[in-house]
Amino acid sequence: MNTLNDRPKNGSSRLDHVLKVIYESVSDLNQQLAREQRIEPSPATVLFGAGGRLDSLGLANFIVITEQKLDDSFGFPIDLTENDPFSPATGHFRTIHSLATYISDLISSRPEGAVR
Amino acid sequence: MDRPHNNPAHGQNEAVNLHLISDFNLDTLGHSLANDESSPRVGITSAPFGQVFPTLLQARSDPSDFALVWTLPEKVIPAFEEALHCGEVHEHRLTSELNEFVHCLQAAQNHFRAIFVVSWTLPSHLRGNGVLSMRKQGPRRLLLQLNLMLAEKLEDCPSVYLLDAQRWLEAGGKNSYSPKLWYLTKNPFVPQVFSAAARDLKSAISSVLGNSRKLLVVDLDNTLWGGVVGDLGWENLRLGGHDYVGEAFLDFQRAIKTLRNRGILLAIASKNEESVALEALTKHPEMLLRPDDFAARRINWNDKAANIVELAEELNLGLQSVVFIDDSPIERARVREALPEVYVPEWPDDKTLFASTLGELNCFDSAYATTEDASRHAMYATEAQRKRSRAGVSSVEEWLLSSGTVVKVEEFCDANRERVVQLLNKTNQMNLTTRRLSSQELQNWAQPDNRKLWAFRVSDRFGDSGLTGILSLEIQSGVAHIVDFVLSCRVMGRNVERVMVACAAQYSAALGLEELHAQYLPTAKNLPCLGFWTSSGFARQPQDNLFTWSLRQSYPFPPGIEVGGWATVAGGSASSPMPGRPDPSLPVLTS
Repeated sequence: MNTLNDRPKNGSSRLDHVLKVIYESVSDLNQQLAREQRIEPSPATVLFGAGGRLDSLGLANFIVITEQKLDDSFGFPIDLTENDPFSPATGHFRTIHSLATYISDLISSRPEGAVR
Repeated sequence: MDRPHNNPAHGQNEAVNLHLISDFNLDTLGHSLANDESSPRVGITSAPFGQVFPTLLQARSDPSDFALVWTLPEKVIPAFEEALHCGEVHEHRLTSELNEFVHCLQAAQNHFRAIFVVSWTLPSHLRGNGVLSMRKQGPRRLLLQLNLMLAEKLEDCPSVYLLDAQRWLEAGGKNSYSPKLWYLTKNPFVPQVFSAAARDLKSAISSVLGNSRKLLVVDLDNTLWGGVVGDLGWENLRLGGHDYVGEAFLDFQRAIKTLRNRGILLAIASKNEESVALEALTKHPEMLLRPDDFAARRINWNDKAANIVELAEELNLGLQSVVFIDDSPIERARVREALPEVYVPEWPDDKTLFASTLGELNCFDSAYATTEDASRHAMYATEAQRKRSRAGVSSVEEWLLSSGTVVKVEEFCDANRERVVQLLNKTNQMNLTTRRLSSQELQNWAQPDNRKLWAFRVSDRFGDSGLTGILSLEIQSGVAHIVDFVLSCRVMGRNVERVMVACAAQYSAALGLEELHAQYLPTAKNLPCLGFWTSSGFARQPQDNLFTWSLRQSYPFPPGIEVGGWATVAGGSASSPMPGRPDPSLPVLTS
């Protein structure tokens, strides 16, 4: 597990780190999905909404798994439901890339040193 | 390492339906189960959540279906919810509400093959008043009481099983309850909890279907003890003592002994000099497993896969009943490749994990526990003695005549019901139709006057094999149909099969019926049964595996076997047969 001190601070490497955490969450979620429903761990994968692989229950499970892994990895809680994740207007659960960007922005906007 | 309890060959090609009944959203569990491709495949139907009581009271399912009832304690027992909010709750109210729930389960049990009820849990944040939570009226204490009362009341419901959910929560870790999931989906548990629940449920279903493994074959060096006995000598093995590795091996032996005490047979497959290995098993002062604990052994330099085949044959078990544990990945791979029906769990290198890894295996789980289970090892030891005796006579026929076999016939009744149901659901090889029924289903089936079900107990001068046979008849249009013809592998090949058929024939003839029919339904495991019927003297319709006997001719009881209780059971319609001369038209069976 990464600790706060060695977590990446640079924008692009942080995005890569977040993507890695998301892929781990995808891997966990895939264990419960039928073969044809499994999610490709790729930035372009559509998660939710038109053409997405997840229904609302799948998305809720994915959110909880991802939040837990982000907490383990970055050392502080990140709330992915501050904006309604099921609303089409929210949009950050549209693809893996949009989710990674959203999470990266959330981390960037945290006050320095605001850890648990 | 793969999960040690992944059991791919367990009851292949079976499919069942499971009804999910809950007061919260169980769709995640349903998806986990439906998407698990291991056998048995589980099809899912879900009752609308929050409708637990009416769903149970109105249950009208296919009787081969299973049900899972997973509830939140505060939803089923409103008094408990009050207690959670520090309300004063009288115990009689808790009991009364619990009884109502149990009543619904009792009403539903006849409509399902089995019902799995999940024990109640609480999220860690519902801790009551901390130090007082285990005092009277404390929520944790009340929850323990409720679970205990529920377990006690369900004791009288043989097809209702209470499953322990605490283990599943531990799999979910400190965040097993997720308030976020509850508010988003009306399900309080994280997916890891459902993954653990799905594994246990598959195992529970397999147990009820009779797919439990029955034989554990173990290696010796670096598996039962530390070191190679042929190199070190038994005095220098690591076992017990003030040595953490020695203690770990001793605990592993203790875990194996526990399985033995549950009725799992043990055998050895080891590459060693037999005399050297036996000396270690006999002389090492801390050895917990002694030679007598093993029903059979192959200690030689032969291929282990070939040895395992021999062990299974010696114990009259199919390979699908066998689990093999060996510290060597090469031996494991060899057995896996040569014998795919044998379950070879992946095994840790770390000796301190041996006992816990064995404890995680769910392939030995059994839904039925009878006195026969506890004495199974003694019975197999007797069988070994019997086989040695058989080797000393000139022919199997001669040996059968001298064995003093007694078959006692009894009606299906409350006293033998549990064992009959166990035998019906666990027997694979000598099984005509492989019909699997719950206790209640079997009792319902046997009610009409045109149906008969007998149980057979077998003993001989070597010992008592217990209740080991079942035969049921259904009479339709002047023909008696054998519906169940089941015999434990323990007594196969001792002419008990013929006694059972002779009883059915004599009973049917006394009723004035014309024919006795046996319709063989093939499975992957019941070829020995076809072998018996092919040599039974019945005429065979080759197209559809129908075996027929004209009751104008009496079917002879085999010689040398005393049949007890038959005159009483047959209601005076049949005379008690006595040992007689062998019928030359019927070959003596060999195992």
